[in-house]
Amino acid sequence: MILGDFGTSYCKFLDLDAPNPEPSIIATKDLPQDTRVDLATGHNGKRFSARYVNELIALARGGEAMIVEDDYVLLDCGSRDIKFIRYQNGKLADMGWNAECGASMGFTIELLERYYDLDYSGLKVPEQTFSVTCGVLGMSDIFDTVISGVPVSEAVARFVKGIAINAYRFAGSPARLYLSGGLCDNPLFVGSFPCQVTPLGRFVLLRGLETEARQRRANTLA
Amino acid sequence: MTLELASLSTTIRRFRKIGIIGIPPLDVIRAANDNNLVIHDLDEPLVREDLETASPFLPRVYCAILRTAVVNALHLELDAIYVDTGPGKCDCALHTATILAEALPIPVICTRNMDNTGYGYPLCQAHQPLLDRMQAITAGVKSAAPYDNPPPVSMPTAGFWGVPPRDFSILTLFPETTHIFGWARCMENKTPADHDLEAQFNPLVPTVFFAQSFCAKTALARYLAKKHPHALYLDVDVHTTGSARAKVQAFLELSGVEP
Repeated sequence: MILGDFGTSYCKFLDLDAPNPEPSIIATKDLPQDTRVDLATGHNGKRFSARYVNELIALARGGEAMIVEDDYVLLDCGSRDIKFIRYQNGKLADMGWNAECGASMGFTIELLERYYDLDYSGLKVPEQTFSVTCGVLGMSDIFDTVISGVPVSEAVARFVKGIAINAYRFAGSPARLYLSGGLCDNPLFVGSFPCQVTPLGRFVLLRGLETEARQRRANTLA
Repeated sequence: MTLELASLSTTIRRFRKIGIIGIPPLDVIRAANDNNLVIHDLDEPLVREDLETASPFLPRVYCAILRTAVVNALHLELDAIYVDTGPGKCDCALHTATILAEALPIPVICTRNMDNTGYGYPLCQAHQPLLDRMQAITAGVKSAAPYDNPPPVSMPTAGFWGVPPRDFSILTLFPETTHIFGWARCMENKTPADHDLEAQFNPLVPTVFFAQSFCAKTALARYLAKKHPHALYLDVDVHTTGSARAKVQAFLELSGVEP
């Protein structure tokens, strides 16, 4: 059984029937259009599978599989949107999905890295930040700051920190959170959160899909 | 018949087709029914016109239901419009009435619905598709007749609190055993200004607290959602977005609510 998480910028796959299943990843722009999987999630997922699990459910199931505590906040920062779930006493207590005001944050961070030829692993978390609610609108702050004489790397770092703080507030300003998504690999972004962060990587939704698939398989056999 | 009722009856019998915004008092509805008037509920999408046609009259960032009412008022041939502007509606409706009164060549009559005799809310607690029940509740505002043969009360598995949404498609996500709360319950009870009834919810079932974006009821919805032990607060503007649908689906599924 092949599982697919079809994101805006990247698609992640897992073949449960492989001897040692390991996730694979491909840029969405390079994805063959005839790709088909058995179970899909992600905002592009419905195009590639007859069976679809919505992203919040995949995120929640992934959190249930990967986090041992009963009380936690799991925040997923994608290319296009941000979403979170909060569990209390092992049960869903709150959730949110911001596809409008949180739009294009991850996408913009990657875009800026390439455009300005930056290496986020070499950038320090800045003292100052921008008040960023949207990747597109935040770009104006960068340009204005650069015009005022601030180095590009500093301006972009302020932008990234603004995005992290916005995502943190969206998730309810917890003292500690688990982070999901490709931005887990961005030390500037992870370090910009004003709370304790545990990165879980970019395969949390895929892990949730795996849980769903095994559950469905068990229900079929029962 | 009091002088006020006599005056209402004399006025209303001059009309053939009226529109209503919000829920005018039962006296108005009864008089319209008695005179066999056609009643259009302008809060619902009735004409195939772009919502943008309301923009010369109302800001784009405004209650989608009132923008819809303005579009209907502009495109339907009506003899008069009754707008409830009492505590069962909102200031936004009052301002909309002012604007329509100047824009239209027909009487726009403001009412103040203080009806407090409950008709009951059997549909809110019945075991039927939520969309069908909400449609029946909204259709019910055009009649003053008491309810016949109410369906039995069901055992609730989920709750929907709020107003009838502009886009009813969100209601298809809920199980048939969803109980309705909030202003929609007040509508069926024919007491739209009953704020105590509006604030009720069932803490034992997972509940979606819904409000239209830019509506004053967003504050009440969010406030009550925080008080409820297992709630999702949700506001939606004109159409139900994919993320709004996903939130409701995920909330119900992760709360263990059977479809």
